[in-house]
Amino acid sequence: MDSRIRGRCIVFGDNVNTDVIIPGRYLVSIDPKELAEHAFEPLGPAVQERLRASQVVVAGKNFGCGSAREQAATCLVGVGIRAVVAKSFARVFFRNAINTGLWAVVQPEAVEAISDGDEVAIDLEAGTVEVKGRRFTFPPYPESLRRILDAGGLIPYLARYVIPQGGTANG
Amino acid sequence: MNLVEKILARASGRERVEPGEVVVANVDVLLMHDLSGYLTSRVFEQEVGRPMRYPDRVVLVFDHHFSPPTEERAEILEKTRQFARRHGIHLVDCQNGNIHHVAVQRGFVRPGTVVVGSDSHTPVHGTLGCFAAGLGNNSHAGMVMPFGKAWFRVPETVEVQLEGRLRPGVTPRDAALWLTGQIGEGGAVYKALHFTGGFLRDLEVWDRWLFPLIAIDVGAKCGFIDPDEKTLAFVRAVTDRPFEVVTSDPDPVYAERWQYDVSDLEPQVAASPTLGNVHPVGAFAGRPIQWAELGGHGGGRLEDFRQAAAILKGRKIAPGVKLNLVPSSREVFAAALREGLVEILFEAGGSWFPPSTGSNQAINMGALSEHEAMVSTHARNFPGRNGSPKAMMYLGSALTVAASALKGAIADPREYLQ
Repeated sequence: MDSRIRGRCIVFGDNVNTDVIIPGRYLVSIDPKELAEHAFEPLGPAVQERLRASQVVVAGKNFGCGSAREQAATCLVGVGIRAVVAKSFARVFFRNAINTGLWAVVQPEAVEAISDGDEVAIDLEAGTVEVKGRRFTFPPYPESLRRILDAGGLIPYLARYVIPQGGTANG
Repeated sequence: MNLVEKILARASGRERVEPGEVVVANVDVLLMHDLSGYLTSRVFEQEVGRPMRYPDRVVLVFDHHFSPPTEERAEILEKTRQFARRHGIHLVDCQNGNIHHVAVQRGFVRPGTVVVGSDSHTPVHGTLGCFAAGLGNNSHAGMVMPFGKAWFRVPETVEVQLEGRLRPGVTPRDAALWLTGQIGEGGAVYKALHFTGGFLRDLEVWDRWLFPLIAIDVGAKCGFIDPDEKTLAFVRAVTDRPFEVVTSDPDPVYAERWQYDVSDLEPQVAASPTLGNVHPVGAFAGRPIQWAELGGHGGGRLEDFRQAAAILKGRKIAPGVKLNLVPSSREVFAAALREGLVEILFEAGGSWFPPSTGSNQAINMGALSEHEAMVSTHARNFPGRNGSPKAMMYLGSALTVAASALKGAIADPREYLQ
């Protein structure tokens, strides 16, 4: 998989919780496209419209706090979001992002520099976020997590590397 | 090493582990509820397609529905039941109680074990001396069900030392709400919280429970309390299944040590939009409420009904207020019946609901309109969680919920405790 993406940003504040990202009543679905229709629904149609025109979500501290629902990551994948750049992540959201193939990048200075609608470029291998001619670095993911992201998430990763070998998931 | 490091070392076959290492650990218990079980079952059967490695370690509790509100929901529950039967996993059906209370009452959770679950409040099991963390559906379907394992980054540990004694009218739930505000949402991201101190030591297990419960809402990976005689007596009273107690070494290494004294606290209320919006009850006193509820994750304990009865005995709640009473387990309802609490709270104007997670997420107890407000013992107050995003949700102790039901507005319970 290409380790670089470019895209338009939608910017949120601190402590964006999972009830805002995807309300609990839609949790019977795991289909990314179906979930995508309800992503950020509590913030209204104007926000949803901007979300659909974006490829990168930018947020403050503790993005994805609250429930452990994996659909908070899945619905963003479904709506066309490739990466979330935040000052910090709630840990279950970070885990769910990796497991669903969504890039989750911690870079607080980049978040400060990015305005709504900006174009950013992210390079996962180099560990850089670029916006308006400024470049910010972050430590690249460990190899184990990169392999899950490259496969498109945990299930495709297991299907490709572990299950065919009758593996024990110790790898 | 501390308790969590020792448990993770043992579960991953190592002598010791250090914070920051990633380990693949054996999982002792997987807890799922009716909002996550169906999805996990679909991913497991349709995409993973391997046998259930340890069916005896997988527990499914239907707690968000005590009865399905629609045909579609009924169908989902039925398909999930069939999944449970196909794979021989434990199923606790509707009307038995909240996932975490049931897991403890029925002996599925025991000290020294690795507990994972799709409910974000799974870290509450650190109360019994477990390493307990919330994971997502794919982790369960892809790793825990087929292999009995999960990957974990060993967390850095912060000591949260609680000292002091609460004043009359102030409860352990007030202390836990206050502590959420002190640490702050995201104030402990990725950390393990080791709860210690004289205040905690003096509490009974169901009151200690309220502290690891908040771990997730300050961003922590887990929270835990070293087991003592009280813990062991508590566990032995509910199960005769064996367990191996793990305790922290004396003077373990902490990333940070935080100390708090609860002696001067007033009753606390956390108002929407987040738990961090917590203030002494006076800040919200007089704000109207139409709904009051003793229930939800961490609510509906026997202790909550006792507190409410202390205020509501011989009184009537305000006209227009609905008081939902939702036991966290059948055992709690049975005890409330024996103690006369069922009658006292019914006579005061309350209504008893089946053991469950209550009105959490508006699944089967209706929803709030934008003009309504609820005060409850629930664990969260996020906008839209129980209906309209404009509805206000106030969280407080059972004493505060009862006092507010009497007044029809947020009220300081100390007015009624003379």
